[in-house]
Amino acid sequence: MKLNENPIFLTQKRLVHRGGVLAAILISAIVGLSLLSGLVAYRVNASYYFPDFETAQQAGKTFYGFTIGVEIVLLVLGGFSRISRTLAEERKAGLYDSNRLTPLKPTQIVAGYWLGPALREFYMALVLAGTGLLIVLLAGLPLTFWLGSQLLIFGSALFFGLLAIPAGLGVQRPQIGVLIVLIFFLIQPFSFSFPRFVLTNFLLPSYAIVNLFTDAKDLSRGNSYQDWAGWPSLFGLPIPPILLSLCLQLILGFLLWRGATRKTANPFQPLILRREAVVIFGILLLVQHGLIWSLWRGNFPVPAINGEKYFYVVDTLFPAIQCGTILVACIFLAAASPQPETVRVTALRRPIKSFGEIFSRSAVSLALTLGAISAGVLLLQFARGFTNSWEVYLVTAGNLLSTFLIFALLLEYCRLRHKKRAVGFIVLWLFVLCFLPFILAGVFYSSAFAKLSLLAPGVAALSMGNGETIHYLAGIVFAHFGIAVLLWIVWRREWRQLLAKATASQN
Amino acid sequence: MTQPVLVIEHLRVDFPEIVAVNDLSLTIESGDICGLIGPNGAGKTTTMRAVSGLQECTRGQVRINGHDLAKEPEKLKRQLGFMPDFCPTYDQLTATEFLDHFARAHQLSQKEKRIQECLELTWLSDKSGALCQELSRGMKQRLVLAKTLLPDPKVLLLDEPASGLDPLGRIELRKILLQLHDAGKAVLISSHILSELSGFCNKAAIMERGKLVMFGGIAELGQKMTSRKISLKWRADGEKALEILKAADVMNIEAQPSGATFQFKGGTEGLDELLKSLVLQGIRVSEWRGAGDDLEQIFLESGAKELM
Repeated sequence: MKLNENPIFLTQKRLVHRGGVLAAILISAIVGLSLLSGLVAYRVNASYYFPDFETAQQAGKTFYGFTIGVEIVLLVLGGFSRISRTLAEERKAGLYDSNRLTPLKPTQIVAGYWLGPALREFYMALVLAGTGLLIVLLAGLPLTFWLGSQLLIFGSALFFGLLAIPAGLGVQRPQIGVLIVLIFFLIQPFSFSFPRFVLTNFLLPSYAIVNLFTDAKDLSRGNSYQDWAGWPSLFGLPIPPILLSLCLQLILGFLLWRGATRKTANPFQPLILRREAVVIFGILLLVQHGLIWSLWRGNFPVPAINGEKYFYVVDTLFPAIQCGTILVACIFLAAASPQPETVRVTALRRPIKSFGEIFSRSAVSLALTLGAISAGVLLLQFARGFTNSWEVYLVTAGNLLSTFLIFALLLEYCRLRHKKRAVGFIVLWLFVLCFLPFILAGVFYSSAFAKLSLLAPGVAALSMGNGETIHYLAGIVFAHFGIAVLLWIVWRREWRQLLAKATASQN
Repeated sequence: MTQPVLVIEHLRVDFPEIVAVNDLSLTIESGDICGLIGPNGAGKTTTMRAVSGLQECTRGQVRINGHDLAKEPEKLKRQLGFMPDFCPTYDQLTATEFLDHFARAHQLSQKEKRIQECLELTWLSDKSGALCQELSRGMKQRLVLAKTLLPDPKVLLLDEPASGLDPLGRIELRKILLQLHDAGKAVLISSHILSELSGFCNKAAIMERGKLVMFGGIAELGQKMTSRKISLKWRADGEKALEILKAADVMNIEAQPSGATFQFKGGTEGLDELLKSLVLQGIRVSEWRGAGDDLEQIFLESGAKELM
């Protein structure tokens, strides 16, 4: 079925057109033409209007930069919000189910919701892209500059549009979906401090776009563009930023597509399969460590680059990545963790005889897998100088594993024990384990408290290096594993009780 | 014997802390209109959703024309029409555009003709150009019914289709259902209001707390009834008639100025005997009929409670 025969796409298009597109297109055109008029004015009388610009190309880049800024907000943020909201609303209204009961294939349903609801934003972006082309041509900039930037923007729009499908399918309230992408945007200011070393600059292709704007002249002036110039490298291998961004979006987009079509075919399936969670986590982690590999070249903590130039990177980037790894893993663990009710119903269908079956389905086994992957990828940064830094490595890897385990066990224990009130209790315990130590450290003026936090040992080990402190940190990691063991005992008891209840109600 | 179109076997649906549908089995043949009756929370909607594939079953099997829902869901989508108990419509589309959306989804040939047919069948032809948001609740309900009928499904699941309809709307719905019956469709229709279903259902399935407490043809269930409510009217000798009734195997006698209603415990033959004895003893019987409709009597017999 072609897109223009897809009933969901056609209906969404009809609804968008009925809601009005002309005013939106005119707003876009006014914004675009205002920027174009700036360049025309520069061309007519440069010294009067814009004396700061040295060349027409520089002026063109500035005006075009504003154009694509608006395009990104429209297509990525606006598109994501529109798609996730439409899907959540239609799900609530029962229209999504009505569509699922037709002979439409899941791929057709997903394609309809993916490409239909954000058409107004697409039209607006098209107008801006058109005026952007005029700006590029008038400024004498190469056409490839326009092509490359537009390819990245529309590619990102498709990627985030696809991300909006699981968001719309998963959230109960339409507004929550938008929060997901807002969080992503909020991370950007941090990742802008480490342009070529942070993965988020490539998922939302900030680096690739800004990189298109840099040229040799800017570099020689030593301005802030220099961090955005040149190609990033993956394990020392330079790679074009456009290619890296597009490849990442393509691979992750493919997995998102699979998840969305699977969920549409059968809403009782999980949004993300365990093996997919493992693959996505592995890819993200490998690329992230590949991007920073050139800083130590496997000999952490000895810098492999000009230490003066990158001293701030070496000090803060690795600990930040450690926190990011924990955050991403926790998201995957929460998404892949089975709901107790699902397991109970499965047990009613077919008795679960061994506890191993529960373990293999639970987030705990996934936590072990993600912990093993993290430890493996982390080793790449330590491999060459392992004899000197093995303690730091063990504390860091152990901290990741213990945190993943505690989160998975806590999540499932609270779901089993507290049912509908689980979220509150999970937040409470995570607050106690992660953030309370920092508060106590502030109250009692003692950093020893802060190191008790689940997040602390790895971060502290990576920023402090070897020494006496490392043994203290190792002790804390052991204590964390002790908490994991206690949680394991109560977690196991809760699962056994649930299975016993299922067996009883079966009879 | 007619081939069963819809077969539900040992269906079970679990919700947290509750078994919503428990070991439900029923069979519906072509041309059957089966009333799924039960109080609120009996499991009617869950049964409908499970049969349509929208609700995951814990156990059991649903077969439509011999095809297993779990194994061949795509095949069954063309044979099954489900109308939910609310009206999911695109408010900003016209009635015709709304139907066009689903006609395209079902890839109907001659979709314009079929849309017109369904609009006519549901008395919505004059509203074809109206936006869905401008339609009344009853009209929306008929529009969703028209959408359900578009692909000409063999089995129709109608969940509380009459709720919110005015008396005229209910009469129109009844006419539509009788037309579907004539067209040989198998219809499973749920309601917690008995009067909505009486008169056109030839089968009844009574549910309570997720369980099927009674299922069968209306006539067949009537035969099985161990007690029935009878309305009797006489021209004279009321006192004598009441004495005869009291002597017979009857309960709950409610005397009226020229008649009485009573509950008779016993089969059809016993009832014939009672009438015969009244006439032989000189009572001039002017009316003798079952009080309340068949469905109501069957429901009362089933022992289910809390029905409106």
